[in-house]
Amino acid sequence: MPAMPKRNADIEAGLFFTLFGGLTAALSLQYNLGTIAAMGPGLFPLMLGTLLAVIGLVIFIKGILFGGEEARSLPLWPIILITASLLVFAFLLLTVGLTVAVPAQVFIALRASQHFTVKRAIALSLGLLAFCYVVFVYLLGIPVPMIGI
Amino acid sequence: MNFFSNLEIGFATALSLNNLSFCFVGVLVGTAIGILPGLGPLATIAMLLPLTYSLEPVTGLIMIAGIYYGAQYGGSTTAILVNLPGESSSIVSCLDGYQMARNGRAGAALAIAALGSFFAGTVATILIAAFSPALAEVAFLFGPVEYFAMMVLGLTAATLLAHGSFIKGVAMVLTGLILGLVGADVNSGTYRFTFGSFSLTEGIEFVAVAMGLFAFTDILTNIRGDTAREVEAPTFSNLWMTGREARQAAFPVMRGTAIGSLLGLLPGGGAMISSFASYAIEKRLSKTPEEFGHGAIAGLAGPESANNAGAQTSFIPMLTLGIPSNGVMALMIGALMVHNIAPGPYVMVSNPEIFWGLIASMWIGNAMLVVLNLPLIPLWVRLIQVHYWILFPIILTVCCVGLYSISNRVLPIYFAAGFTLVGCLFWRMRAEAAPLLLGFILGPLMEEHFRRALLLSDGDMAIFYQSPLSISMLGIAAAMCLVVLLPQIRRGRSAAFTEET
Repeated sequence: MPAMPKRNADIEAGLFFTLFGGLTAALSLQYNLGTIAAMGPGLFPLMLGTLLAVIGLVIFIKGILFGGEEARSLPLWPIILITASLLVFAFLLLTVGLTVAVPAQVFIALRASQHFTVKRAIALSLGLLAFCYVVFVYLLGIPVPMIGI
Repeated sequence: MNFFSNLEIGFATALSLNNLSFCFVGVLVGTAIGILPGLGPLATIAMLLPLTYSLEPVTGLIMIAGIYYGAQYGGSTTAILVNLPGESSSIVSCLDGYQMARNGRAGAALAIAALGSFFAGTVATILIAAFSPALAEVAFLFGPVEYFAMMVLGLTAATLLAHGSFIKGVAMVLTGLILGLVGADVNSGTYRFTFGSFSLTEGIEFVAVAMGLFAFTDILTNIRGDTAREVEAPTFSNLWMTGREARQAAFPVMRGTAIGSLLGLLPGGGAMISSFASYAIEKRLSKTPEEFGHGAIAGLAGPESANNAGAQTSFIPMLTLGIPSNGVMALMIGALMVHNIAPGPYVMVSNPEIFWGLIASMWIGNAMLVVLNLPLIPLWVRLIQVHYWILFPIILTVCCVGLYSISNRVLPIYFAAGFTLVGCLFWRMRAEAAPLLLGFILGPLMEEHFRRALLLSDGDMAIFYQSPLSISMLGIAAAMCLVVLLPQIRRGRSAAFTEET
């Protein structure tokens, strides 16, 4: 029996796929299943979900029996910062406009890098703002608000 | 002759000033991202896709295609000059290309790579033009049963040949198929899995899925390894190859082109597998295998041609059958769908300018790349030195503006943020995300054909093995699944991919 990695990727993946497949199958029961000849909207997702749940179980069992691959460790802080930078951008874009959304995104996202300095963040923000204005607003004519509505 | 009149339509389309300039932009961007490590063609195309929506469909496709094959050229430049594969398909080029550069033959190596790629690109373009109509003829005979069987085969093969665990790949395809079903059901109009939200009735925005899973997840996994790269600018004593070098390269280039063209056709095939296969074959055929790894010309010329040919011919299944063979092709199908063009054999008939224009543009783009690549090398060397901390905020902002521009709403940005978290989870669990994208694109089509097939047969499952075409395709898919479960083959596969990570 091969050595069991500490964090087993196969067990995690197996659980994930089983849960997702099971959830899909369960949710598809609320739609009309129909018959094989005249399938309702629920039948195909029910089949896919069931199949996925079974395959998830196989991956799970394989992980328990054979050890499987080791899971990679997630960079927690960058994940929080990058996701936050996306959410903040989306929120600020329509409330205050691109002029604020871009610097906010750059400052938050750049925090995720070890190379963060205020000077670099300012320089990048200014450069990106100019780029956005020239390419998106001026050249491509995308109706993205520079200053909020 | 039809062939030439078709090419005439194609060149007339591709040579319009507008298309020509977007082809140029495409290959330029492609070369740049091929050079930049940490930014691949899939993420870049996802990033730029929304911006092509406002263009004519053919113009958008020409640019996307340019990015894809341009990246193959760019990747080899960094591989040769600084031993850094900018692209996964140019890992093999590092082996002998970099050694040639160290022996003072950097110029010759670059010239061989560029000219070999150009030759391969030309041959592959002719192959696409010659065989696509024939393949489309076959596709016209397909009914829903055959289409369903072909999708099963395509997805199985794509998962099999993509790297990573096969069974997890299958699970990812299924996850993608399920996600693709979100929204209004075509037959009954029922809203499925929308959780009462009106914004999900048209399905999940696929650019948001692609950006979240590829562009943003890539940023997160690259951000920690961001250290300054020291690059010595190589000196060019002589940019041209000698006659002897050209003769040594000639046969490997032809063999590489043949291998790449063939492997590119397979679902899941394409540039990377072609280059590995070509390297192995050149080494086997060589009279001096001990030279490999120390600057063998054949070890550079073969794989370089193969990866370009493979990148080009992987368009054939997408253009004729509407089946994506890799993630980039899935994005192109998505781009066609945005313009209400159903990918498949009908594109050639209903929109010949799209089909032939794209093909003609590939040849023009390849010619541009040869001209572009060699004189701009000093610039490309500077580009390698760009720090990742400059790059990733740019990617983020361009993606966000692109997501917004799809429908002038911020909702897709929230979705992309959600899929970034999912993508990180997949990365942790070592599940490749590309098969998910293929499933996502094919989900609704697959359901449609499945339902129609069983409607025709009045619910009799036997219809799937009564059609000879269908049973042979399903049989091949089943056989592939069995083969991959045999342990020795699995070991061989993992050995082939260990070099990549």
